[in-house]
Amino acid sequence: MRIIDMFSYAFSAIRLRKLRAGLTTLGVVIGIAAIVALLSITQGLQTAISSQLQRGFATDTLIVSAGGGLGGGNEFNLLVKDAQTIRELENVTASIAVIQRICYVKSSGLTRRVTVIGVDFVAYRDIYSSTFVAEDGEIPLNPEEDAVIVGKQVSDPWNNGTLFCTTGDTLEIIWTNTTARPLRNETYTGRVVAVLREVGGFTVGGPSDSRVYIPISKAQSFFGTETCELIIVKLKSDDKAMIDSTAKAIREALGSGVTVTSSTAVLNIISNVFSTIELFLAGIAAISLLVAGIGIMNIMIVSVMERTREIGILKALGMKNRQVLLIFLCEAAIIGFLGTLIGIGAGWSLAQIVVRIFGSSSGAGGLRQAGQAVVSNGTTITPVLTPTVILGAIVFGLAVTMLFALYPAWIAAKLKPVEALRYE
Amino acid sequence: MAKTIIKTVDLRKTYMQGKIPVEALRSVNLEVEEGEFLSILGPSGSGKSTLLNLIGALDKPTGGRLFIENIDVSTLNDNQLADLRMKIGFVFQFFNLIPRFTAKENVELPMAIAGLSKGVRGKRAEELLEMVGLASRMNHKPTELSGGEQQRVAIARALANNPRFLLMDEPTGNIDSKNAFEIMQLVKKLNEEKGVTIIMVTHDQRLAAEARRTVHMLDGMIVSETVN
Repeated sequence: MRIIDMFSYAFSAIRLRKLRAGLTTLGVVIGIAAIVALLSITQGLQTAISSQLQRGFATDTLIVSAGGGLGGGNEFNLLVKDAQTIRELENVTASIAVIQRICYVKSSGLTRRVTVIGVDFVAYRDIYSSTFVAEDGEIPLNPEEDAVIVGKQVSDPWNNGTLFCTTGDTLEIIWTNTTARPLRNETYTGRVVAVLREVGGFTVGGPSDSRVYIPISKAQSFFGTETCELIIVKLKSDDKAMIDSTAKAIREALGSGVTVTSSTAVLNIISNVFSTIELFLAGIAAISLLVAGIGIMNIMIVSVMERTREIGILKALGMKNRQVLLIFLCEAAIIGFLGTLIGIGAGWSLAQIVVRIFGSSSGAGGLRQAGQAVVSNGTTITPVLTPTVILGAIVFGLAVTMLFALYPAWIAAKLKPVEALRYE
Repeated sequence: MAKTIIKTVDLRKTYMQGKIPVEALRSVNLEVEEGEFLSILGPSGSGKSTLLNLIGALDKPTGGRLFIENIDVSTLNDNQLADLRMKIGFVFQFFNLIPRFTAKENVELPMAIAGLSKGVRGKRAEELLEMVGLASRMNHKPTELSGGEQQRVAIARALANNPRFLLMDEPTGNIDSKNAFEIMQLVKKLNEEKGVTIIMVTHDQRLAAEARRTVHMLDGMIVSETVN
């Protein structure tokens, strides 16, 4: 029997039971749609975060921090003057210390909790030339001690033009000194000299919309500290060998208590995390496809029983066992292929809808405020549907349906003609 | 003398009905020559349908030998049996047409299984349906055809792959007498004019008398033979 005739025979059998075939297909559609939607959203999210990260965290920079990991650890103290030591190393073009504290800022009677960053404005701007940019006011070359630069979100927290503070306003900065006994609030009044342009996304070391920046010298005297949280190191290039050798040199210069993180390392970590998440989500979605597969098996066993007599007729007319098997596999293949195609479309649409819902809610003030690490309004997630995912879905969808159809098809193939013909 | 195309030697078939063995055939010896019109007559339970199923390669004997064109059928595997069935025309009491196919598609089916192209089998199906007198009804589905018409479609289908012989199991058992008579005329015509070898199973004496030779079966054995 020709393969085209097998498919046309299988198709005529499917058409006979439209509702049943439709429901069976639906199982495949849901399984595939879940996989495609989850994968395209995660991949979209990964792309968005990676691009944000690359923007906020130049590839030719290293982040030096104390202890294990970013900003963690407390036995080793990173000093502001360590930045000077690093600056003298080979291949380093800039090295700046960053002090960061959680403070309250007060303006026209309102108080907000923010992260205050003490940093050398000019050096910082040299490293993050594309993101540490004033939208309003100017970043001073020779800042006064009371100069304050605020992130876009600090200035316009509700995203509706009602400003918390803007250029020229005074800003009271309140920090709770937890080393003093009794605890006391340190306060000084700063003057907003610039509002940053919206950065979007999140960053390690780089500028952020939700932060307040003060000169490093002021931070040292106000917080009464010689230590810093991070040192941002800019290299001559983002050459991998140079990054590695400089990281090694920094560790040797400052001792084993420091952690040197390169942006590529962070990107790799994020990519690894996403791969794991992806695998996990795809695994969950795959379970629904397995359920669909069991549904197919169930339906096909019923179908084989119902069509026992028909199978008997086919065999009486000279059809071989192998051909009977193939006819039932063809039926499964049609259902699997159709279900997979519709599933990819449905999954893609679902991803678009989910992203749109997620995107609109992230525009609300609450979420924006809550998350520096959460993707903010500046970032739009676009679901990514790669050819690999499409191909994988088709292969997987077909494989699962065919696999579960194998047993019913085998039952059909093994039927004895005489018994099949006698079946009522 | 004409060629022998079917020969059984001490052919036996025992079924298990639950745990009780039932001897459906006990030592059947029969020879059928090419071009013959043979009827097998017997009451129900005499084993005539079992014999027909064995000759049609639908079932395997439990003892004895069955030769079809000098090939020992009991030595064949499933695939070879399927190939053999392709060269045997079967006509059943309950027609056994595929309900979702039209008359023409039903006649095409065995040719599709044999691997013939759509064009070739369509043409042949039309010729066959014309021959059985259904030229105007070939695009009707079985449910739109009378019992007599359905059996004509089944006969056309049985002839599709130019079978070596035609096996008919109570072909008029489910058809009114007028249509039954017409079917019998068609069968006789096939035998006389086209030289098709026909073996027909029936429990109706008058029908059996239409054949040129009749074997009488009882309790799984051939008990007598008459030439009409």
